[in-house]
Amino acid sequence: MSKIGWKENRTVYTFLRPEGRIKNKILWKENVVAYTFLGPALLLLSMFLVIPSIMSVYYAFTDYYLLTPNMRTFVGLDNFINLFQDPIFLKSLVNTLEFVVWVIPLQIGAALGLALLLNKQRKANTFFKVAYFSPVVMSLVVISVLWLYLLNPNEGIINNVLTYFGISAQPFLTSPKQAIFTIVVVSAWQGAGFQMLIFLAGLQNIPGDVYEAAQLDGMNKWQRFIYITLPLLKPTSIFIFITTLIGAFKLLVQPMVMTQGGPVNSTMTVVYYIYQTGFTDRMVGYASSIALLFGTIIGLVTITQRKLVKEDED
Amino acid sequence: MRRKFGPLTILEYICLVLLAVLFIFPLFWMVASSMKPEAEIYNNMSNIKAFLPSFHPSDWFVSYNQVLLRFHLLVYIGNSLFYGLCVAVGSIIINGMAGYAFAKLNFSGKKVLFGLLLAILIVPFETILISQFTIIHSIGLVDTRLAVILPTLAGAFNIYLFRNFFMAIPTEIIESAKLDGANTWQVFWRVMLPMSKPAVATVGTLAFIGSWNDYIWPLMVLTDKSKFPIQVAITAINSTDPVYTNQVMAVLTISTVPLIIIYIVAQRYILEGIGGSGTGIK
Repeated sequence: MSKIGWKENRTVYTFLRPEGRIKNKILWKENVVAYTFLGPALLLLSMFLVIPSIMSVYYAFTDYYLLTPNMRTFVGLDNFINLFQDPIFLKSLVNTLEFVVWVIPLQIGAALGLALLLNKQRKANTFFKVAYFSPVVMSLVVISVLWLYLLNPNEGIINNVLTYFGISAQPFLTSPKQAIFTIVVVSAWQGAGFQMLIFLAGLQNIPGDVYEAAQLDGMNKWQRFIYITLPLLKPTSIFIFITTLIGAFKLLVQPMVMTQGGPVNSTMTVVYYIYQTGFTDRMVGYASSIALLFGTIIGLVTITQRKLVKEDED
Repeated sequence: MRRKFGPLTILEYICLVLLAVLFIFPLFWMVASSMKPEAEIYNNMSNIKAFLPSFHPSDWFVSYNQVLLRFHLLVYIGNSLFYGLCVAVGSIIINGMAGYAFAKLNFSGKKVLFGLLLAILIVPFETILISQFTIIHSIGLVDTRLAVILPTLAGAFNIYLFRNFFMAIPTEIIESAKLDGANTWQVFWRVMLPMSKPAVATVGTLAFIGSWNDYIWPLMVLTDKSKFPIQVAITAINSTDPVYTNQVMAVLTISTVPLIIIYIVAQRYILEGIGGSGTGIK
């Protein structure tokens, strides 16, 4: 029923009390229609998002083993106490943070650099844009398998190129010291083209006359970049920073396909460890405690960013 | 504008070209390696021929032939297409309906539900994989195609996107359709969806790409190889002895072709959708 009709009925309701039923009846009908439309989405979201989230909070305090769901008992904070004595979990936390700290500046820096290079009238721009964007088109599994071959320490093309330029061959993914950094570079290589496009859209939203005015005021290229481009690009940058940050926290496929978390857990990430404990080892309770802890951290980061963005808009 | 070819312009072009090489050489190597005999790949490794297919065109598709004979590649591609299309169509209908309710219908609890919807956007999907699996496990859907499709259909972001799009459609249009005797269901199908083609295309394309690229969830819920999507099949093929580099590269190339087509056909909608798709790193 239309909004106008509903308002008319409400007017009737205030003046003639016995007619009040009409309003209720219509609202009830409206509810039936609306909830029919909402039904499928609500059902699926509850089943696969809301209920699992709540369950995972509950499981975190139990010793739920996947194959014996009826034998789970409440164990209080045991999982969390074990968690902070679990060297692999602590290592996965450090690895994830290390990945985040490296990949954020590398990927966002690369994306901004590419966008600035392309933000100019040039005939060949489309070609370069497509080239920089092409790794985004490939799936994470494909790029992970592909780089596994490119980075092969003995026969890979990367080491062949390095030795050609007189640099000694590197172990890359087979070295506990280099593995996580190698994954950082591959991830940044794959993702930068995507953020480049968002930056480019942000750059093209800056009106040209702002630059012209600045030029008339005697600003040089560098000053215009610092005092005009960067401040006007702030909303875009915040958005990119946050989405990249949250994505980086969830690193999973690259280590799973390329290193299986090795060598010696040097590429074990938190989400990968949730998968291993909860799925491979079937310790749902323990995995849920990691999920709860880590989900809270990511949730807090997201909420903080929303506040920051809102303050920025005000 | 005046065109200057100063040293700075040349430097810029050198940068652009070097970066382009950096970004596309792996792709060239992938395609080139899939089009030559195994031994040639390793003989060519230290020169430019590494990025060229075999000089004998008869060798170009040998690895493709072999890999198609060894593995049910077409079944995996077919599975991925099936999952992708189901998820794309399903997301459009399910999220579109919910978006319509939030945009144009009155119902009790609207504000609360909308708040919940925004809150759901924050839930990091990856951390609840395990409890999602326990749900699939408890309703007996493990190793079914439904298990791959169902959890990915409804999405808070897509509902939000549809809602925003529908909000912009004037209520008068709905009113006049109703005067013509259309009910809410008909209004949704014949007025709202046709008037929101960009939103439909964005949600559909992103849902298809997301489903096509999904790896971890199908890996968890499927054990029967004949239901594997291509992404899961890739890692399985890459660990099935004997592993030939040219065959693996052929598989990687084949699995990328549909994505390239989609990105070319639907680039406009993908760009509109990335604004908040929240895929993060990618």
